[in-house]
Amino acid sequence: MANDTQEPIAVTHSVRKQLLAPGKFRLFGKNRDWWIKQFFEGNAALSIIVLLLIVFTLFREAAGFMPGNRHNLEVYRLAGLEYVDIVKRETNSAAALGRELSATRLAWFEALRAEGLTSETANERLAPLDEIDTRLADATGPLRDIVSEMTDHAASVKERANVAEDMKEVRQNLRSGIKGADSQRAASLESQAAAVEIEEIDYATEIVALTSRLPEIQAANRALSAELGALAAALPRSDIPAVSKRLQRFAQALEEFRVGIPRVEGELVRWRADEPVGAFESFNAFLFGRTWVTASFWQDWYGVLPLFFGSFFISVLALAIAIPLGVCAALYVNQVARPAEQRFIKPYIEFIAAIPSVVLGFFGIAMLGETLRLVSQVPWLSWVPGFPMQERLNAFTAATLLALMAIPTIFTLAEDALQNVPKALREASFALGASRLQTIVRIILPAALSGITAAILLGFGRVIGETMVVLLCAGNRIAIPDFSAGLGVAFQPVHTMTGIVAQEMGEVVRGSLHYRALFMVGSLLFLLSLAVNYGAQKIVTRYRLPQS
Amino acid sequence: MSTAQPLTAAPTVPPPAAPAPATPPIVEIDKLDFFYGDKQALFDVTLGIPEKQVTAFIGPSGCGKTTLLRCLNRMNDLVDVARIGGGEIRIDGINIYDPRVDVIELRKRVGMVFQKSNPFPKSIYENIAYGLRLHGITHKSKLDEVVEKSLRGAALWDEVKDRLHDSGMGLSGGQQQRLCIARAIAVEPDVILMDEPCSALDPIATAKVEELIHELKNKYTIVIVTHNMQQAARVSDLTAFFYLGKLIEFAGTQKIFMKPSNPQTEAYVSGHFG
Repeated sequence: MANDTQEPIAVTHSVRKQLLAPGKFRLFGKNRDWWIKQFFEGNAALSIIVLLLIVFTLFREAAGFMPGNRHNLEVYRLAGLEYVDIVKRETNSAAALGRELSATRLAWFEALRAEGLTSETANERLAPLDEIDTRLADATGPLRDIVSEMTDHAASVKERANVAEDMKEVRQNLRSGIKGADSQRAASLESQAAAVEIEEIDYATEIVALTSRLPEIQAANRALSAELGALAAALPRSDIPAVSKRLQRFAQALEEFRVGIPRVEGELVRWRADEPVGAFESFNAFLFGRTWVTASFWQDWYGVLPLFFGSFFISVLALAIAIPLGVCAALYVNQVARPAEQRFIKPYIEFIAAIPSVVLGFFGIAMLGETLRLVSQVPWLSWVPGFPMQERLNAFTAATLLALMAIPTIFTLAEDALQNVPKALREASFALGASRLQTIVRIILPAALSGITAAILLGFGRVIGETMVVLLCAGNRIAIPDFSAGLGVAFQPVHTMTGIVAQEMGEVVRGSLHYRALFMVGSLLFLLSLAVNYGAQKIVTRYRLPQS
Repeated sequence: MSTAQPLTAAPTVPPPAAPAPATPPIVEIDKLDFFYGDKQALFDVTLGIPEKQVTAFIGPSGCGKTTLLRCLNRMNDLVDVARIGGGEIRIDGINIYDPRVDVIELRKRVGMVFQKSNPFPKSIYENIAYGLRLHGITHKSKLDEVVEKSLRGAALWDEVKDRLHDSGMGLSGGQQQRLCIARAIAVEPDVILMDEPCSALDPIATAKVEELIHELKNKYTIVIVTHNMQQAARVSDLTAFFYLGKLIEFAGTQKIFMKPSNPQTEAYVSGHFG
C-alpha cells in the first residue's frame, strides 16, 4: 500500500496485520511449513541417494570382474591347463566307461543271483566282463600316466604364476609406503622392494614341455583305439533283457568314446597357447559358464549358469505351487466368501508374510524335508517320478516353502486386482443369466488378468530374491539340474544365486576375483528383480481397465 | 397406440392415454414385503404389470422403486441381508421366489439394463454374444445373426457395424447404454427391466434411448425406473408412484400426471417435493 495514512477502516488494518504477521516459529529465517517441507523432501532424497549408492557400489565392485577373469583365463591358456584339460576329457570318459561297466556287472550279478545261482557261479559267469574291465583299465593306463605328469607340470607353472602375481603386489605395497616416509625409511623400503624376487615366467618354453608330448599321446591313442575295437567285439551277451539293454548301452558308449578320440586329437593339434582371450570371452564364461568352481588347485571357474538355473528352477516350481493357491484363494475371498469369512481369511494369509524366512528354513530342514523323504519311501508311491528321493534337501523342499512365502504377495495383489473389477460387470453378467462360475471365469478373471499377471510377476520377484530358505533347504549342489530325469528333476538338490552370495561372501578375500564374481552374481540378481518389477508395473498401467 | 412418440414433442404433453390394461398382467406383484436386514424397504406392494407396455416406477430417492425392480429378476439375491418378508411375485403365474425356480432361467427371461452403462471389457460383438454363449449357443453363423439383429434392435447397428471387434468400452456413453440394451435383448427376454437407464446420459443420447424404448415395447414388456418425471410421461403407458416403500398410486400415465387421485402423487408430480 502506497500510503498507510489513507487506511480507511481500523478493522481492515488489523486484519492486514494479522495476515502479514510472521508465524510464531522461525528458524534461520524460515517458518515452520518450510522446515516441514524440507524434512519430507530430505527423507525422500535420502532414500534415493542410498539406493544410488547401493547400485553404484554393486556395479563398481562387479566391474573389476571382467578384466580379472580375462587374466584368469589367459593364465589358464598360457600355462597349458587348457591343453591338459582337453586330454583329460579322454581319461574322464574312460573313467565314466569304467563306472558304467561296474554298474552293468552289478545288475547282471543280481539277475544271476535271482535266477538261483550261488555267488561263486555267478562270479564265474561274469569272468569275461571282469576281463574287459581289466583290459579297459590297462588300455587307458599309458594315457592316464601322461595326463598325470602333464597335470603336475601345468599346475606348477600356474602356481609359479600366482606366486609372481603375489610378489608383484608385495612390491607395489612396499613402494606405496615410500611416499610420505622420511628419506631413511624410504631408502630401506625401496631396497626391500627391489629385493622382492619376481619370477618372469617364460610361458612359451614351459608350454613345450606339454605340447612336445603330443606324439606320445597320439601313440597311446592309437593303441587305445585298437583295444577299444577289440573290447567291443569281445563283449559278452546276455539273455536277460534288462542286462542285455545295459550291455547295449555300454557298447554304444564304448563306440562313442572310440569315435571321439580323433576329435580330441584334432583339438590338441589345433590348440595354440598364444591365441588371445577375447574381450567378451570372460563375460561369456561368466554368463554361459556351466561350472562354478572356486578355491581349486587346478582352475577356478565362475560360470553362473548352474546358479541361475537353480534360482530360476526353484522359482518356477514355487510359482507352480503358489499361483493356483494364491489366485484361487483371492478368487474365493473376493467372489465367494461371506464377509465373516473374508475377515478371517485375509489377515490369516497375510500373516504368512510375517514369518521370518529363517524360521521357515528350520521348518523345511527339520520337518518338511524329513517328512517328504519318509513319504517318498512309501512303496506304493514309487510311481511318482523322482521317488524315493535321493536327498532330503532339494529344489522341491525349498520351492514348497518359497511358495508359502509368495502366496501372501500373490494373494493380496490378485485380490486387489479383483477388487478393482467394477461390481457392475458382475451384476451385468448375473443379469444375463450367468452362474457364479461362469461370471468368474468369463468376466471377472479376464478383467483382472493384468493385475493378476502383475501379482504373479511380483511373487516371482519375491521368490527369486529369497535367500535364507534356499540356502537352508535347496541342498546346495552346484550343478545344472539333470532334466533327463523327467519330473523327478524337482527332487534334485540345486544351488542358487542368492544362496551362493550368502554362503561365500563371508570367506572371500576382499578384492579377489572370487569376491568380484559374487558381486557379478549380485548385479545379475539386481537386474533380474528390476526387470521383473518394471515389467509388472508396465503390465498394470498398460492394461488397466478404463476407470470411470 | 404404440407409434413412437416423436422426440420433438413437448415433454410436458403426455403421450396418448394408456387405458387400464385389458390384457392380464404378465408380472403380478402380490402383497410384497421386503427387508434389508431389519429395515423394511417395501410395504405390502401389489401391482400388475401388463404385457408389451412400458410401466414406469417413479418416486423420490429411497422410496423402494429400484429395490422392487431388482426383485423382479432376483438381483437382490446378491445382497446378503436382503430377504422377502411376505407376499410373492408371479411371472406368467409362477412364483419366482419358489425354491424350485431356476434363477438362471428367470434372469434369461427377465433382462436388465443398469443405471450406469456397464459393457464388458470385450469387443462389441463379444458383449452381445456373451449371453448367447452362456446359454450354449456357439454356432458362428447363429451368433452373427443374433448380434446383428440385437444391434439393429437397439438402433446401434449402423453406428458400429464396421467395428464390431473393437472394445465396447470405446463407445460413447449413449452408445454404451444402447449396447447394454442390445446385450439384454440378445437373449430374447420377455421382460426388460431398466434402472434409470438415462441418468448418466446427455439429452441427445437420452432422446435416442427413449426412442428405442418406444420401439422395444412392440416386442417386450418394459419396466423402467426413472427419476425424471418428464421421461416417465414421455415413454410410459402406466406409472406407479412410490413413497417410503409404499405404492401410493398406480394408473395410466396420463391419469397420474393429469388427474392423480392421491394428494401425495399430485404433490410429487407437480414438483412440490422429491
